[in-house]
Amino acid sequence: MVNNLLTLLKKTLKGNWQKLALTFLSLAVFVSLWSLYAAWLHGDWPFEGGLIALTVPYPREVLAAFVDSFQNADVNGITMWGHIYASLKRVLAGFLLALAVALPAGLLMGRSSTSHWLGRPIVESFRPIPPLAWIPIFIVVFGLFWGPVGIVFLGIFFPILYNVMFGSRSVDPILIDAARTLGAKKSDLFLKVVLPFTLPYLMTGITVGLGIGWMCIVAAEMLGGVGGGVGYYIADRAGSQDYEYMYAGMVVIAILGTLTTGVAGLLENRIYKWMGMK
Amino acid sequence: MDSRVIIAVMIAAIVVVGAVSAIVLLDEDESAGGTVYYVVIPPANMRDALATGEVDGYIAWEPYVSDSVVGGVGKVVLWSDEIMADHPCCVVAVRNAFAASAEGQELTTRFIAAHIETTEWMIEALDHTSSADYDKLVAMAVDFTERNESVVKEAFKHLQYKYQMDSDFISALEHFTQMYNDTGILDPSKITERGYDSISDFVNTYVNETYVEDAESIEPSSTILNPNSPIRLGYLAGDLHQLAQFVAMNATMVDGSKSIFEKYGLNVKKAPGAPFAVGGAVMTAFSAGTVDIGYLGAPPAILNHLNAAVDTSIIAQANSEGSGIVVGADAEVDGLRDMVNMTVAIPGTSSIQFLLLKTALEERGLELEIKT
Repeated sequence: MVNNLLTLLKKTLKGNWQKLALTFLSLAVFVSLWSLYAAWLHGDWPFEGGLIALTVPYPREVLAAFVDSFQNADVNGITMWGHIYASLKRVLAGFLLALAVALPAGLLMGRSSTSHWLGRPIVESFRPIPPLAWIPIFIVVFGLFWGPVGIVFLGIFFPILYNVMFGSRSVDPILIDAARTLGAKKSDLFLKVVLPFTLPYLMTGITVGLGIGWMCIVAAEMLGGVGGGVGYYIADRAGSQDYEYMYAGMVVIAILGTLTTGVAGLLENRIYKWMGMK
Repeated sequence: MDSRVIIAVMIAAIVVVGAVSAIVLLDEDESAGGTVYYVVIPPANMRDALATGEVDGYIAWEPYVSDSVVGGVGKVVLWSDEIMADHPCCVVAVRNAFAASAEGQELTTRFIAAHIETTEWMIEALDHTSSADYDKLVAMAVDFTERNESVVKEAFKHLQYKYQMDSDFISALEHFTQMYNDTGILDPSKITERGYDSISDFVNTYVNETYVEDAESIEPSSTILNPNSPIRLGYLAGDLHQLAQFVAMNATMVDGSKSIFEKYGLNVKKAPGAPFAVGGAVMTAFSAGTVDIGYLGAPPAILNHLNAAVDTSIIAQANSEGSGIVVGADAEVDGLRDMVNMTVAIPGTSSIQFLLLKTALEERGLELEIKT
């Protein structure tokens, strides 16, 4: 088992060493520039001139704070694990709700002209309003848990809706005709032609939506402060100007965002394979 | 393919329902006996949160306490002076770089002279509730807080305006700093990192009494000393504790035609970003260099200086007391012990209200934990 993994690792590295090298180079340059800027602000070598501000800590300080936040409880009595759990709960709930509503709505609006023109005015009116604008009213109406979930819902809903709508609308008519010629019923058309065709668009919508969802949850937690959550953590640390820990929170968001989109991508590949599309 | 799709949809549906139910069910509170839970909500939204039942209570500064009481939404369980008599609350702080120059020093001393005269006028007015000065003060407070007269009059009864920084003030600040150390809010190494030997050394250095002392010999000025570079003033929105700066800005205070700031030759303007929501925001503005002199709570003035080396000094007190713990008007709560397992809203963990609530609960053997 271990041998297989090692062989797999070697194969991956060999094939992708240029990409890996570039990734490391890019990160190294970023960290160096960050250190230089921090050194200038702190008045340390290679700069002289004394302390300007401590608003940007050194990368190693942020790393230490990052590790510490997972190991030890903060002023709120919870570790970063607890904050991640609180945020994940809300993002997951918002995501599932958005998917449950946007997928059927998008398919319907894409395939049925009546539904499209019925739904369009409402969708077009609400879409331009940034989800964050709804935070104060959602917190009051839906409360301290479902309020932020509602914001995440709004953030993820529209990308999925639009992508699914566009995808289901752009099914090649030739494919539909061909299926009909072969004797396909309406349900067959939907399940075997439209749905598989829309799948890539759905996955794009999910990827975009998840990114927006993370932005929404951080903002919603900052303004709602609902007791735990990475967004709340960042705002809390910022209030005390505990910058090392504040940046550590931001790194956590970056990692969580990357992980969730990565998982979505993996699921996408799995679904394609299962549907025989790859 | 058909049956597989149907099965897939059914599995997806079960997963969705299961996940949502799990989230809802697992979220139920486990009563931990002896714990009060908190959430962070801006004080302006606390009354609504209490009215809708989103929280069971809150702790905030005036006028947000009397807001609920006069509005019939809540009742006070405990006033902050019952938690800690005559506890310092808001202070006046200056950005050291601003006061470094001779001109800056002069302006700051004059500012404190104006602050002292205003504070003394306010105390006098509050002592004579049938005087015209009292009515004038109430009108200004209504203007500043955007609350009605009854709220403001009620709020006045529970706070004290003062400018002196006596030994009790110093000990109280040392106590707050010690609390920060003990509760892990502040890393104890930060005290030495900032160059202080001890908490006592820190507080005695950070609190600068020279401006209050020098203000005694300041005379009014017929001309404005800084016409082109106004003092940028920071303060909290509608915070009745910080009424002094609003009164001092009022253009009818001196002979009906000048403000108290103008009397002492000062051009004072709102800083960019003012009014701020919480004290931490004032400290951030100090570190950005956009505020010269600010009114804020003593705890954020202490905490943020130690955490981020914000180069400020405390140069006068603004008020003491004036916060309260509020619960629903019909709640069966007679004291803090009845609030076990309840959820209380706080302005933030860097606020004095958080420290006061923690102190009050710990004295009763209760815990304070974040609601998750």
